Amino acid sequence: MSSTHADLAIATFAIDEIVEGTQTGRDGTTLIVSPPQLAVGAGEPALAEATVEVVRPGDRVRISNVCDAVVPDVRADDPSRTFPGPVGTADDHLGAEPVIHRLGGVCVLTSCDWEGAGYVGPDELPASIVDMAGPGRDRSPFGDTTNVVLRCVPAPGVPVGEADAAMRRAGATLARDLASATLGHTPDDRTLPVAFPDADPSLPAVCAIVQVASEGPLVDTFLDGAHLRDLRPRAIDPAWLYAGRITNGAYDWPGVRNVTAAYQEAAVIGALAAVHGTSLRFAGLILAPGYLDTASAKRASAEASAALAAAMGASGAVCTTFSSGNSHTDTMLTVRALERRGVATVAMVCETNGGLTDHVDEADCLISTGNEDELVDPWIPDRVIGGEAGARIGLATPTVNYLSGCTQLGNDVWTAVPA
Amino acid sequence: MRVVHYLNQFFAGFGAEEAAGHEPVRLEGPQGPGRAFAAAGLHVDVTIACGDDRFALDEAASLATLLAWIDEDAPDVVIAGPSFGSGRYGYACGVLAREVARRRIPVVLAMTPDSPGVLAAEGGAYIVPTGANVAAMRHTVPVMTGLALRLAAGETVGTAGDEGYLPRGLRVNVRADDDAATRAVGALVAKLGGRVTTEIAPPADRVSPPPPVPDLAHATVALVTEAGCVPQGNPDRLPTRHANVWLRYPLDGVASLSADGYETVHAGFDTTDANLDPNRLVPLDAARALVDAGRIGTLHEEFFTTSGVDTPVAVAARFGQEIAAEIRNAGVDAVILTGT
Repeated sequence: MSSTHADLAIATFAIDEIVEGTQTGRDGTTLIVSPPQLAVGAGEPALAEATVEVVRPGDRVRISNVCDAVVPDVRADDPSRTFPGPVGTADDHLGAEPVIHRLGGVCVLTSCDWEGAGYVGPDELPASIVDMAGPGRDRSPFGDTTNVVLRCVPAPGVPVGEADAAMRRAGATLARDLASATLGHTPDDRTLPVAFPDADPSLPAVCAIVQVASEGPLVDTFLDGAHLRDLRPRAIDPAWLYAGRITNGAYDWPGVRNVTAAYQEAAVIGALAAVHGTSLRFAGLILAPGYLDTASAKRASAEASAALAAAMGASGAVCTTFSSGNSHTDTMLTVRALERRGVATVAMVCETNGGLTDHVDEADCLISTGNEDELVDPWIPDRVIGGEAGARIGLATPTVNYLSGCTQLGNDVWTAVPA
Repeated sequence: MRVVHYLNQFFAGFGAEEAAGHEPVRLEGPQGPGRAFAAAGLHVDVTIACGDDRFALDEAASLATLLAWIDEDAPDVVIAGPSFGSGRYGYACGVLAREVARRRIPVVLAMTPDSPGVLAAEGGAYIVPTGANVAAMRHTVPVMTGLALRLAAGETVGTAGDEGYLPRGLRVNVRADDDAATRAVGALVAKLGGRVTTEIAPPADRVSPPPPVPDLAHATVALVTEAGCVPQGNPDRLPTRHANVWLRYPLDGVASLSADGYETVHAGFDTTDANLDPNRLVPLDAARALVDAGRIGTLHEEFFTTSGVDTPVAVAARFGQEIAAEIRNAGVDAVILTGT
């Protein structure tokens, strides 16, 4: 595949420490943040409160009601294009020389107690947790990052969509503002993650199929800020993932849905890029819907994804999965459709104590992202950010309640083995 | 550390087949192979034993007696066997282990992998695979001892592959060397090269379609749903998602499910249309019409319901087993199962 987006560069600035100061800025590998300043900056009319706190790995803190994780990015070539949709200008073309400045080791976590605010019923949104210490620290990758936590409380009477949009906008703004401290500075590392130079045509062509789900307010995925409820399988530029064009607004089952940071880091694209030109040729990226409502819609979408893969000339495909249960049927049908077209396929799926929700004979090559039902030992933190409701203090907690605990986009190292 | 050891009549020293009807017995200290455990570093405080035939023919009472002793002794770990290739002995070890595990007491067994005790334990025990006879004792005792000591101390033991016990049907989370994406691409490259690998074996519990109902006109048919259909107001508080119960409601005298009388509490789909006509959740109106037309013999007098959304597969499997047992005992010949 000849690249049309080889210019997208990710310039990473490692952050070893975050200290609080009166102005947000950066001094070498130290990020200085002013929580009051950032909170004011994140203010939205639809939010009654927006508070900012910094937590570090090792702090005896549990963050509850976590909605999303966002890697601090800013478009150095044009900051107004950062996070297209929520805060930036959307444009299919990323620009002549797009450069993203990214903070390494830092994440913005948004938190909102939707049940406490009266938008959902009991247990409608399961507990969503990040532990900075204790037995569950390693169950979320965000237990290892220094996190700037934006806790939001919707203003009374605001429609749910407006409150959610305000929180997502505030989170993206905060992430952009943190990364803006790097503007004008030289990065520690600079990569071209979607530079796929021409490769030996005898190598097998392989595509990636990234599944997303968009079901309604609080369970949506967004492209440039617009929900993807009507998504049909389509080819997209992998640079869109890195550039923050795909963002998360789905807050159910935190262990298995994709957070914004997972798209930004795009491990599946990175893994393909690592062997592009040696073991395979990258053929393209397909964005496909999951969690579809009917059998016919599932079959049609699976067939459409397979047809696209075939049109790309792919002889192999890597499928990712969004959430569990229902969407696993979408994954399995997609695997079947691909294999029946002669496209060798591998899929990433999580497991449960009872095995897989669905399986087809063609799914002979599966990667386990862990057992979502496995219980993590109870823990009593010194402090909870995000509210005691839904924090499961002192209770054994299933892995699926830890943010990205079994992410099926390929970003983490967990797997499940027999015992 | 307190250790209880289960043996059959032979290894407890009461005799062979002639003593197979021996009643349960409790003995202080190690007996028979228990002394080998002591030599390996695991001191047995109490030995409990039962004749193989006695356990098989009077399982409930034998089990109750054995468990009462275990409850009284409150051990940190229970070991049983090794039962090697003995089917009856292995079965007794497995059943006892299942119940001990439900008490959250760790339990270690040893038997041949094809012993009925492996299935009987239902994944509750750490089972060390053995050969068919006592020649395997020398290898087995140290492995059992190592597991029992660590389990009794509350330590975490490794995976089945690392520790040498039989997979319990559980899947535990571990950190791999590479992220899932890297592993996926590696597996795909291998597959494209003709070498197929997988981290998840195909499920072994695939359900085959049953044979057709021979005579539906004389069959009793039950209605079962996971659509969350309940009487209006959800009087028994069926959870809207990740249900931990199934419920049943009478159909005697009910011709059709009215919108005034029934609703769905299922959190996994837009329930608007279903609530306008709950017969679309549980097709009672259509089933009654088929009975009237003589195409179905009779309808079972209750329908069974749960909300099948976000329900762990293991829980759903248990629901199915429990409902199936009820239906089978009620003489039902066929089921119409409606899903969402």
